[in-house]
Amino acid sequence: MPRSIPWWLGGLLMALLFYYTFSTWGANRPIGASTGMSYFANLIFDLDTEQYEYAAIIEKSGAWEAVMLIGVFFGGLFMSTVVTKTFHLSYIPTLWKERKNTSIPSRMVWSFIAGFLLIFGARLAGGCNAGHILSGGSQLAVSGIIFAVVALGTGMITGRFFYKKRKK
Amino acid sequence: MIDDIIKMFDVVSGQEHGSIVKVLLIGFAFGAIILYSRLDKFEKMAGFMIFEDTLVPRMAMTTVALSSVGFYFLVESGYATYNIKPTMLGGLIIGGILFGIGLVILGKCPSAFLVSVSEGRLDALVGVIGGMFGGYVFTIGYPYIQQILGPDLGKIRVPDFFTEHSLLIVFTLSGILLTIAFLLPTIEYEDPADINEKNK
Repeated sequence: MPRSIPWWLGGLLMALLFYYTFSTWGANRPIGASTGMSYFANLIFDLDTEQYEYAAIIEKSGAWEAVMLIGVFFGGLFMSTVVTKTFHLSYIPTLWKERKNTSIPSRMVWSFIAGFLLIFGARLAGGCNAGHILSGGSQLAVSGIIFAVVALGTGMITGRFFYKKRKK
Repeated sequence: MIDDIIKMFDVVSGQEHGSIVKVLLIGFAFGAIILYSRLDKFEKMAGFMIFEDTLVPRMAMTTVALSSVGFYFLVESGYATYNIKPTMLGGLIIGGILFGIGLVILGKCPSAFLVSVSEGRLDALVGVIGGMFGGYVFTIGYPYIQQILGPDLGKIRVPDFFTEHSLLIVFTLSGILLTIAFLLPTIEYEDPADINEKNK
């Protein structure tokens, strides 16, 4: 089996999965992920729907996405252990080592901060790149287009300052 | 905790959005596609934003281009309904900025980081934990945060601005995206960690 698929095949497969999920044969709703993460957070920190308004708001869609995310994890695990055989424990990505540093604590602290911003930001915006850019963009939703421009624009600017090329 | 998990599955089976098995399978396929196209790798997502890799934009544009045409016909023939998120300007802009910063630093989005964990990447696991805290703070602070989310411009789509010719608009936008996806050069960050494993 090849170790990866090209971008056009990935895009095609993803679109087919979206058709299925979106249609009445599948789930009759778009794909999203960050509401599911928020749901897990409420579950772990024991924030109940009676006391917290937001927990009540996302009770239904969050549960759907949380169950989907369990599937996502096992889908990835299956592929990485059976098909691509890329499963191995690692701490720092290669590009980070090249551009930033080789310190494990530094990568972990930044990962934590970035993960926090990712979910907090996605909740503020009402969705992440799965919900806003892929699902939203596919429906030509204005919210999805605004999110894509702001998020990717900020990412590119931040990236320029955050990952400076090392002087050789 | 166990009660909550049982409740989660109950809530899902009570919705008209597919059985639990179906939802798990959709997730499974989603995760498998993400891993197989290597979208879960830091080098792909962060690499895209520092212009060292073009896999993410090309794949995302292909997906959106093909999905938008497909969705149009699904909705027209009654097999699906649009599910548009409201355009909450304040939330979208502030949230988009925070999300963008998180995205380039962590190098994965909120579904790919779980796939990364399933590949044994411990920095992604720390990102997931950070995300849990992000969700926690958001739920706790929601009564205050709510005030900056607006103004709400409603659930609008691009074709809403053009009362007719919505098919034409869908085809045009999709054509533009596909063209860009094909014209973008293939820039690939060759991860030495991958190459070494290939030669094993």
